[in-house]
Amino acid sequence: MNQLKRLQSGIQGLDELLKGGFVAGSSYIIQGRPGSGKTILANQIGFNHARDGGRVLFATLLAEPHERLFQFLSTLSFFDKDKIGDQIQFVSAFDTMENDGLDEVVKLLRREIVRQKSTVMILDGLLNARSRADSPLNTKRFISELQGHAAFAGCTVFFLTSSQLDDGSPEHTMVDGVIELGEELVGTKSIRRIKMRKTRGSGAIPGSHECEITEDGLVVYPRLESTVTHSAMRDSDQCSLIPSGLTGLDPLIGGGLVASSVTLLMGPSGAGKTSIGIGFLGQSTVEEPGLHFGFYESPQRLRMKAAALGVDLARLEQEGALSIMWNSSTTELVDKLALNLLRVVEEKSIKRVFLDSLGGMSRAAADKTRMLDLYTALMSELRARNVTVIASWEVRSLLGGEIDAPAPDLSGIVDNLLVLRFVEEPAELKRQLSILKVRDNPYNPALLEIVFGDQGLDVKKVHFHALGDTNHV
Amino acid sequence: MTTILIVDDEYLIADVLSFALEDEGYLTVTAGSGKRALSILDREKPQLIITDYMMPGMNGIEFAEAVRAHRSMQGVPIMLMSGAQAHLGMARPDLFVQVFDKPFDIHAVVSKVKSLLKPDDT
Repeated sequence: MNQLKRLQSGIQGLDELLKGGFVAGSSYIIQGRPGSGKTILANQIGFNHARDGGRVLFATLLAEPHERLFQFLSTLSFFDKDKIGDQIQFVSAFDTMENDGLDEVVKLLRREIVRQKSTVMILDGLLNARSRADSPLNTKRFISELQGHAAFAGCTVFFLTSSQLDDGSPEHTMVDGVIELGEELVGTKSIRRIKMRKTRGSGAIPGSHECEITEDGLVVYPRLESTVTHSAMRDSDQCSLIPSGLTGLDPLIGGGLVASSVTLLMGPSGAGKTSIGIGFLGQSTVEEPGLHFGFYESPQRLRMKAAALGVDLARLEQEGALSIMWNSSTTELVDKLALNLLRVVEEKSIKRVFLDSLGGMSRAAADKTRMLDLYTALMSELRARNVTVIASWEVRSLLGGEIDAPAPDLSGIVDNLLVLRFVEEPAELKRQLSILKVRDNPYNPALLEIVFGDQGLDVKKVHFHALGDTNHV
Repeated sequence: MTTILIVDDEYLIADVLSFALEDEGYLTVTAGSGKRALSILDREKPQLIITDYMMPGMNGIEFAEAVRAHRSMQGVPIMLMSGAQAHLGMARPDLFVQVFDKPFDIHAVVSKVKSLLKPDDT
């Protein structure tokens, strides 16, 4: 099978969406409203291409002076002033378009591609060309002639336009790919998105993906569930057990948690989810390090809480047995969070993760309807990397046996399901732990009570009260 | 009146310079490329040329070399406006009497022009 030559954008996430990069010698439209990041994206492609030894022609049909553009670009890390005038040429074709028409613009750019030996051409202001063309046919001809000349010279072309061109527009029908940048308000939060609308010969990952503009330029976060698709194929066929951190629990679930399994720990606020997670991470070693991936407690508070439970997190961190990642659920993008988690797991060879909590992570999602897909992909990937996970989920009901399902079918993607709840006893509120599901191992369905003993947090069997029975008998 | 030829593919820059120099009493002519500027040299007979570096067809140095090769233009002072390539212009004192960084200070440019030519030097 023939493989098309690729031109890598060098932009984190984008080449992954394009399955390796743009098709070299093809033409693309980058469209989006003013401020959507088109110019940054195009320049990032251009400067990265120049850094790889390529030559770039940046032509504009806009009246805006290049110096103004350089001023803004100079705040971004990819901008390299020394490349301008050498490997990257900025020319204006506005005057030519206004005075001599589009035919002369084509001639001018054709000559420049040859003269500069350009391997990438970026043409900003396609909307102005459309306005200058007398008819849709002439717009088509302009694009067709330009891409024809460019392709002949082995040059990949990017047309930038601020208009919202639809699929049937003359521009779309002529080019090989269309990338759309946009911004969407979710509540009061603004989310940037990138969408592959047309990708001829590329098999790119379709749909909309979140992105952001940082000091390094545009960063794209492909939807995790669209890129992590075959993790289960890498699952281990060995079954070993690891301590859960609750000494009393392990014998009841067959000796411990199955390595590379995912345990969902559900319960109301204050029921002991984080404490159990701390106990789990307390078993981390330098050989099999742990990661606390949290949204609520800061690292300082977490260390204090752990110390009260007899777990010295600071020591584990110093030894290299533990990492703590505290995340914001209000300012981060959910795919960025998931990718960061996987990156740290990879970098530090993490073997146990406490994710506190799925609810906190879900709050970062602009589109809540895809969370089950994202969690399915994330957990499958962690399993495939031999990571044992405990993830917490806060439920609303404070007392009693009624349990809110955390998300439709979420329990289906986890191996083990543990439920914490409060039980009222005369003059005392107790915490109980129930084992609802343990995959691959028989388990004892006894009700368990959370106790704080000399050895820290643990569980012991309860001999009275049924689940949901809040009245003392 | 003294004629100044301004060569820049970015017409806004050319216009800004042109208006500022006209305010000082100079006559200005603009061209969007080196090629076009060369085609009007004989007709306009400028006493000073201000050129951009990065332009389609030929860059500022190539254009200045072509001007110097022109029989009647060998002594005409040329000023270069450039961003990242200012060092290339500075290395050619045989071509340029002055090199300005872009974005330039319009007062500095006008002041330099005045020191070279009076508006009525013909």
